[in-house]
Amino acid sequence: MTAPDDLLIEATGIEKWFGPLKVLDRVDLIVRRGEVVVLIGPSGSGKTTLLRCINHLETIQNGRIAVNGHLIGYRQSNGKLVPDREANIARQRRDVGMVFQRFNLFANMTVLRNISLAPSLLRGTPKPEAEAQARALLARVGLPDKADAYPAELSGGQQQRVAIARALAMQPAVLLFDEPTSALDPEMVGEVLAVMRDLAQSGMTMVIVTHEMGFARQAASRVVVMSDGRIIEQAPPETLFTAPEHPKTRALLGAVLR
Amino acid sequence: MNFDWSYFWAQLLTPSGAFLTGLGLTVFMAVSAQILGSLLGLLIAFARLSPRAPLKYAAASYIWIIRGTPLLVQIVFIYTALAAANILRFNDITIGPVTFPGNVQAGILALAINEAAYMAEIFRAGISAVDKGQSEAAKALGMPPILMLRHVVLPQALRIILLPIGNQFNIMLKNTTLVSVIGVSEMLLVTETINSATFRTFELYSVLGLYFLLLTSLWNLFMAWAERRLALTRKTPRALALEPAH
Repeated sequence: MTAPDDLLIEATGIEKWFGPLKVLDRVDLIVRRGEVVVLIGPSGSGKTTLLRCINHLETIQNGRIAVNGHLIGYRQSNGKLVPDREANIARQRRDVGMVFQRFNLFANMTVLRNISLAPSLLRGTPKPEAEAQARALLARVGLPDKADAYPAELSGGQQQRVAIARALAMQPAVLLFDEPTSALDPEMVGEVLAVMRDLAQSGMTMVIVTHEMGFARQAASRVVVMSDGRIIEQAPPETLFTAPEHPKTRALLGAVLR
Repeated sequence: MNFDWSYFWAQLLTPSGAFLTGLGLTVFMAVSAQILGSLLGLLIAFARLSPRAPLKYAAASYIWIIRGTPLLVQIVFIYTALAAANILRFNDITIGPVTFPGNVQAGILALAINEAAYMAEIFRAGISAVDKGQSEAAKALGMPPILMLRHVVLPQALRIILLPIGNQFNIMLKNTTLVSVIGVSEMLLVTETINSATFRTFELYSVLGLYFLLLTSLWNLFMAWAERRLALTRKTPRALALEPAH
């Protein structure tokens, strides 16, 4: 199974239930190399769940998700999809970086170790090289002097920038952001969005769940609107924000832009 | 009161060779049983936390049976009852100049099996107490479960369970006295032997108590040091230095 060269994420017919509640309803999503896709929608619409399915932090009950042309979480066996081995899932996740709402930096290690741990453990990068790379990434997110700090000593905005550096250290093909600014004090939102904007301009493929409409308008190549577990509309930001088609999109934009 | 002070001081300050050997055996058994019991307990904790039902229930049954029966009964069961039923006999093992008696092997095994049940529950509590976001972040980076436990979850769990582990080894030191029932010449049995010849019961048991108090006190000092050290990594020394003086 080979994907066309620019096809990075290909999700088709995704269905997921939490008990009796259907949270994803026949969702199709395609992300091409270099695209910045922003997922918006009211809370409970399934955007975070969809994002977490892409790196298999959530299982799906129907449909298939391929990253770089490889199924994630499941493998084909006699025409049916069966759960993949844990080691295979772990290997595939290395190409999909994730930034969490609550940062989730490893509390027991320094910032430098947070960033260099995965490359040295999983990619076999020699430790001095992994650390040099970590320092370069820290400089890139504007925190060159925080290498020896512990996460608890940093502000929320600083922690989130370190979390971005940590995800980048694995040189992933795509970065997933799960409401990266929702847990931040208002004055720290800007510094994180600035780093994300830089990444977008550098050509990084990104899928972002956010309520920051200003950011979506400026940085997104495509905005995807979800409601009740379905994708109801998707368009480039200039189209979507000026001429939304779906009534629910209009209601959503009216609520947040006011 | 009839207390022979000179006999007491002599036993306390210049204990017999047999008593010192008993002291060494007490420490040796406690340390080996604690290490074995902790390793076994960690495996049982993983089984107990596993989503696979057979593993989970096997671990739960182990904990249920071991915690539900007296340690003294377990010691006699493993050494005497298994041999009586021709199931398992502990023979002395001699390696070079060192002989490792069968009853010491059985004693360490019984203490370790018992300890594992308690350690399993402590490990389970510690692992469950680590924020789920930590393991999710490790997973998202592509770490397989073993590496995630080794580098992220266990170091954080260990800090949480440091105090209960300290408690367990304190209890372990004292529980070694139970192994005297299968004839292991640890401190209690040596004391009993001397007592049967001298009948200085009050003096001898006072000395025995003080030696245990010495062992547990040394352990307390070690734990206080470990606690300070582990708490320090939460903050860098630099950050502590920057904190305002009190």
